[in-house]
Amino acid sequence: MFVLPPPPRYPAAAYGQPGQPLIETNNILTHPTGPEHQLVVGEGTYVLRDALLLATPPPHPSEAPVHNNNPLATTLSPPTAGTKISVLVLAPRQQSYPQLFRLTTNNSTRSQIPASIQESPHEGQSQASDTASHPPMTNGVGSLDGSNAPAFGESNPVLSLPNGKDLKDPLKRRKPKSNIVKSNSSFVSRVIPHEALAKRLQEHDPKGIYVFANVNRAMQWLDLSSPTKEEHMTKILFTKAHPLCHDIHPTTKGPNHVDIVLGFSTGDIIWYEPMSQKYVRINKNGAINPSAVTEIRWLPHSENLFIAAHADGTLVVYDKEKEDAPFVAEEESPSSERLNEEQKKVSLKIKKSVNSKNQKSNPVACWKVSNSKINALAISPDSRHLAVVSEDGSFRIIDYLKEQLLDLYNSYYGGIMCVCWSPDGRYVVTGGQDDLVSIWSLEDSMLVARCQGHNSWVTAVAFDPWRCDERNYRIGSVGEDCRLLLWDFSVGMLHRPRAASVRHRGSVASATLKVSRTRTDTSSNSRLRSNSNLTSGSMAGEGEDTVHPVEPRARTAMLPPVMAKSIDEHPLTWLGFEEDVILTTCATGHIRTWDRPKEGASSDDGAVSTTSASASAGTGSG
Amino acid sequence: MTSFFNRFVPKQPASPASASTPTKKDPNAPQPTPLEKLLADAGPIRDDGSDKFFGFENFGSTCYCNSIIQCLYYSVPFREQVINFPTRSPQEILERPSSPLRLNTDIPPSANGHNGALSPTKGRNSLSSPNQPSPRKPVATPGKDANPPGTKPEDNKDSPEYKKKLALAAGPVLNMDYENSHSYGMSESLFTSLKDIFEAIISHRSRIGVVSPHKFLEILRRQHEMFRSAMHQDAHEFLNLLLNEVVENVEQFSNQLGSKSIEQNGGASEAGFVNALTSAVSAVVPTLGGSNSPTLNTGWVHELFEGTLTSETRCLTCENTSQRDEAFLDLSVDLEQHSSVTSCLRKFSEEEMLCERNKFHCDKCGGLQEAEKRMKIKRLPRVLALHLKRFKYTEDLQRLQKLFHRVVYPYYLRLFNTTDDAEDPDRLYELYAIIVHIGGGPYHGHYVSVIKTQDRGWLLFDDEMVEPVDKDYVRNFFGGENVLACAYVLFYQETTLEAMQKEQEAEGLAAATRASEGEKNGVAANGKQNGHAQPLSDHHPIHHVTTPASEEPEFVNLDHANTAPPLLHHDPNPIEHAVTSTGIPAPALSPMRSNLQSKKEKAKEEKERKAAEKELERQAKLKQKELELKRRENYRKQEEDLRAALAMSKQTAAEEAQRTGATAEKGGVGKDKENSKGGGLSRFRHSSMSIRHKPKFWSGKEKPEHELSQPLNIQETPASTVEEEHSDTTAPAAGTLDKPEKTKNRFSLGRKKSGFLH
Repeated sequence: MFVLPPPPRYPAAAYGQPGQPLIETNNILTHPTGPEHQLVVGEGTYVLRDALLLATPPPHPSEAPVHNNNPLATTLSPPTAGTKISVLVLAPRQQSYPQLFRLTTNNSTRSQIPASIQESPHEGQSQASDTASHPPMTNGVGSLDGSNAPAFGESNPVLSLPNGKDLKDPLKRRKPKSNIVKSNSSFVSRVIPHEALAKRLQEHDPKGIYVFANVNRAMQWLDLSSPTKEEHMTKILFTKAHPLCHDIHPTTKGPNHVDIVLGFSTGDIIWYEPMSQKYVRINKNGAINPSAVTEIRWLPHSENLFIAAHADGTLVVYDKEKEDAPFVAEEESPSSERLNEEQKKVSLKIKKSVNSKNQKSNPVACWKVSNSKINALAISPDSRHLAVVSEDGSFRIIDYLKEQLLDLYNSYYGGIMCVCWSPDGRYVVTGGQDDLVSIWSLEDSMLVARCQGHNSWVTAVAFDPWRCDERNYRIGSVGEDCRLLLWDFSVGMLHRPRAASVRHRGSVASATLKVSRTRTDTSSNSRLRSNSNLTSGSMAGEGEDTVHPVEPRARTAMLPPVMAKSIDEHPLTWLGFEEDVILTTCATGHIRTWDRPKEGASSDDGAVSTTSASASAGTGSG
Repeated sequence: MTSFFNRFVPKQPASPASASTPTKKDPNAPQPTPLEKLLADAGPIRDDGSDKFFGFENFGSTCYCNSIIQCLYYSVPFREQVINFPTRSPQEILERPSSPLRLNTDIPPSANGHNGALSPTKGRNSLSSPNQPSPRKPVATPGKDANPPGTKPEDNKDSPEYKKKLALAAGPVLNMDYENSHSYGMSESLFTSLKDIFEAIISHRSRIGVVSPHKFLEILRRQHEMFRSAMHQDAHEFLNLLLNEVVENVEQFSNQLGSKSIEQNGGASEAGFVNALTSAVSAVVPTLGGSNSPTLNTGWVHELFEGTLTSETRCLTCENTSQRDEAFLDLSVDLEQHSSVTSCLRKFSEEEMLCERNKFHCDKCGGLQEAEKRMKIKRLPRVLALHLKRFKYTEDLQRLQKLFHRVVYPYYLRLFNTTDDAEDPDRLYELYAIIVHIGGGPYHGHYVSVIKTQDRGWLLFDDEMVEPVDKDYVRNFFGGENVLACAYVLFYQETTLEAMQKEQEAEGLAAATRASEGEKNGVAANGKQNGHAQPLSDHHPIHHVTTPASEEPEFVNLDHANTAPPLLHHDPNPIEHAVTSTGIPAPALSPMRSNLQSKKEKAKEEKERKAAEKELERQAKLKQKELELKRRENYRKQEEDLRAALAMSKQTAAEEAQRTGATAEKGGVGKDKENSKGGGLSRFRHSSMSIRHKPKFWSGKEKPEHELSQPLNIQETPASTVEEEHSDTTAPAAGTLDKPEKTKNRFSLGRKKSGFLH
């Protein structure tokens, strides 16, 4: 009587994922041409070089019977993520075109503009020299040149101890323990290295682009500069867990060593070294945190530490070398107990401080940031701050070195799905379920512009560091509407939003804010502030210095895109700017490579014209 | 085995793997339904009805009605108004549903209201809760789980059909075959019947049960021919009809009351009020607010659902801009593939050129001119009902077709398309209910509603069945290829940022408690990871035990590659599978694996098996595809038949409407009456426009588009004139009324505009 019939086999068309293949297939490379595969912008035309469709692996047999034809089935499918990419270029990055950045030519301008980093209220301690030497950021990963920002956990002697033995041979990188190919872990289903992996590794141009991309339950390592780019270098299939996010360590990379961390839908994390095919699993079975890892980043100035955002709203710092241990939240520090209810609500709940004496095992630190899923995080270029966005629509700036929440903003409505810093660290851009790309200024602690143009949720935003300078910024965004949008905004434009907005600005960043923070007021700032005091009285409230109210639409500048184009049939999930290409990916595994306009198309002129266009557009809308 | 397993897990308290720790229970012990579990800790019953969770019986294709009534019931202000209008009737005088006739189980309706259904009943054995998955429990598929097809739907314990039967059997069933209209002092109408239902639910001692809305459907069918057939109806249409009926019933009542009081009191304050009501100057409802006693507040439907649209028309010749206001009870927005609700609303308000046949009559230039027109929201409704136009007329097929476009909707919303002078243009809305249409076309299918209740989170209301669902479940209905279930009507209600944050905090807390409880009970922290896996943990071990031969290839594949096939027939294996399937492999088990075969051999074997299985699956897939094709073909045929029938019925309805419209001056029941009603109440007609025209509109949809747009310029002229004059005479007002809907028609059908930067 207890006999249950064997689970019937359903067609592969999984709920929400039609046409999922049943057999292992190969990646497909196509070269679509024509005007519909070009992006026309002021500086020239970006042309689609090729589209690489990553093979979606068939469901692992243990997953197959879960298919369900009841459209109302209340079973929730595990979290999945569309394809995202981690880009690896072995050669030291060339700094972007000087004529665009005007690093050398515009010293005079620089002195007039509030020097970016140390002007920012949160970054009062940073040195001027730091800012001046601040190079453009690459690939959205925090630049490591904020070199005088202390490393995370530096102040804790317990933490810095184990690193001592590495110093014996600083050039030799430590590898993970287990071989992933020979592993008998049921976590890893299969590893398929390319037949001629060694040869391909040798032939690889150090300036060429390697990418690591997740698709469904697979992770692929591809060489985009190879003539046979559709053939993966290594493909790893996981049994059940889907890799949702990954990051490459920016400083330990080399021809023989690359540190990658992958976060999974099951909460597990893998530290993987692709050259030696070694790996280590961290947060095994969710021992420390059982919820999915939605974003993962190596911490700057540290070889071992990385930070993972979990779906339950927790940020956890792990050490790649340390073992898991069952995690129980540690006692709250007395200082946090002194806070009243209201303050507690807006402060970081430190479940384990980096200064904890117990650093034998993971986690290194653990903070409850939000009540809902963290969708993305980004580390500031000066390596001091985290920008964290979540499903509840909150956007936080956290000083992770001091474990303090500095600012809490809210989306216009709906969750925020992506976040990134401007190369100079002065602005943060978010995109979310209000279909908006929002630009936040950290100097003024305020929203500076909302960019309207997407027809659906914005899934990824990125700055194009090759088209940014101190005054002008190029932002790209992709969304569920399958479109890629490019935006130009300039400092000049942003400092004169609508008249109304100037009058009311003080209500957002009133003069009484952030008393503790050093602020070097420029003349324009103080004028605004004194003005604003007239209107800011009503906004006084608890947690005022950290919590910022939602800006009404009428007061905010609206920025139109300089380019909008539908580039895929599927929702887009990731976007990245490289020196000579733009890369985009979609939910089903397309990687598209867009060549930048060819040299000789007088990029200087282009830059100027777009700048002016954006400025006029901005004022027009504002 | 428990102890065996525990050897491996205890060091990982947070691990969902501990989920598989079997909770030893009598397999025959009654299993509460998920809803009962949810309500297990409920306190005393409240008298506002916020803690009642009743399903509605389906009398054959009446799901459109059930789903809409549920959405209205859980709109707190709407429910309050229904109960309190004209006055809160004392419970004693109301007739109660006769003792639940169909209560055919041994459960008595609980006396304390504390879900009586928790008492033992054999019918419930098989319904297990998601909190008690145990790998070896044969039928312990979670209550929220899928029903595998192929088996008879009703046999499957997890099928909605089975659950519905069970819900009906468990009762209590409220047989709404009586009416209390006289007690309310009103004449029998859809409103009184709706009130009967609400009153019965609220006053019943049980927290859960099933409502049989006999009377309501009887009245509906008596008054509206198009609902008489057993055919699938449009839920949005029904919503509009119901709201308008309620408005009308309430109006009628206050009119009677008003005329009475005028007669009696010679025109006291009440008379003034009624006068104010009858002079329809503009479409905007005066805010009646709480200043009036509830008896007099007849405008509450408008207060809740009505907003005002302003259409601004700018003549391109003289640059003169004219404005005109129209009221709406819901907004119907066109859909685009891969868009969001925000974008649909923005498109709705995008500028539109009036040219060629649609030229605009400009009063200043005095002639038909090209013009730009855009519709913006001037007054924001408290409850925003958003109708996603999933049923679109396609010319080549000559019929309505369902659009499966993926349209995402956020939990919170603000409106971008407001006028500059709109009050509170940044009003925050929260999604509180969605009507989901399941099916391949407009003429068949099923409606259910997913609703956020006051303090019990999101629930799925599928006719008789009510089931708690995860918040993420709400996002399953965005639509997309091969997704039959799509959101059709979205209900957003106004809220505040503070309320939102409070709720999010509560959600976070609840999730945390769930997680810790999960740890304690050995249950996975949340359904997200686990719900997926549970069927496996149930199926495989059993499978393994019973049919060792057939299951082999599958098993091998389960643990692919270098994992442990040799262990397959070992006792601990089921556990391992359970563990794997919860997404957490059990590395601790690896030492247990024997090395009977060399890895190479194993791998080879596996490869072969896998290939075989793949072949099988591919065949199955092909077969399924064929079946699918066949089914589609059948659907198509069925649809065509239905369409013909529908067209006929609508035609007759329209004819009848015309007849009544021509002859009847005041009388006549139903929507057609409004056409002919005196102008005194014409402001309400604005809001009812979509319903009055809807049937015509629908039949109109079946005509080619150009015919539709033909009369537009004729309509345009008097309409705008009227607006300029602010006339309150009745005759031109009728003209005004016609226009918006016509414009809307063109709006939805004729509009083809590309984005600004393509």
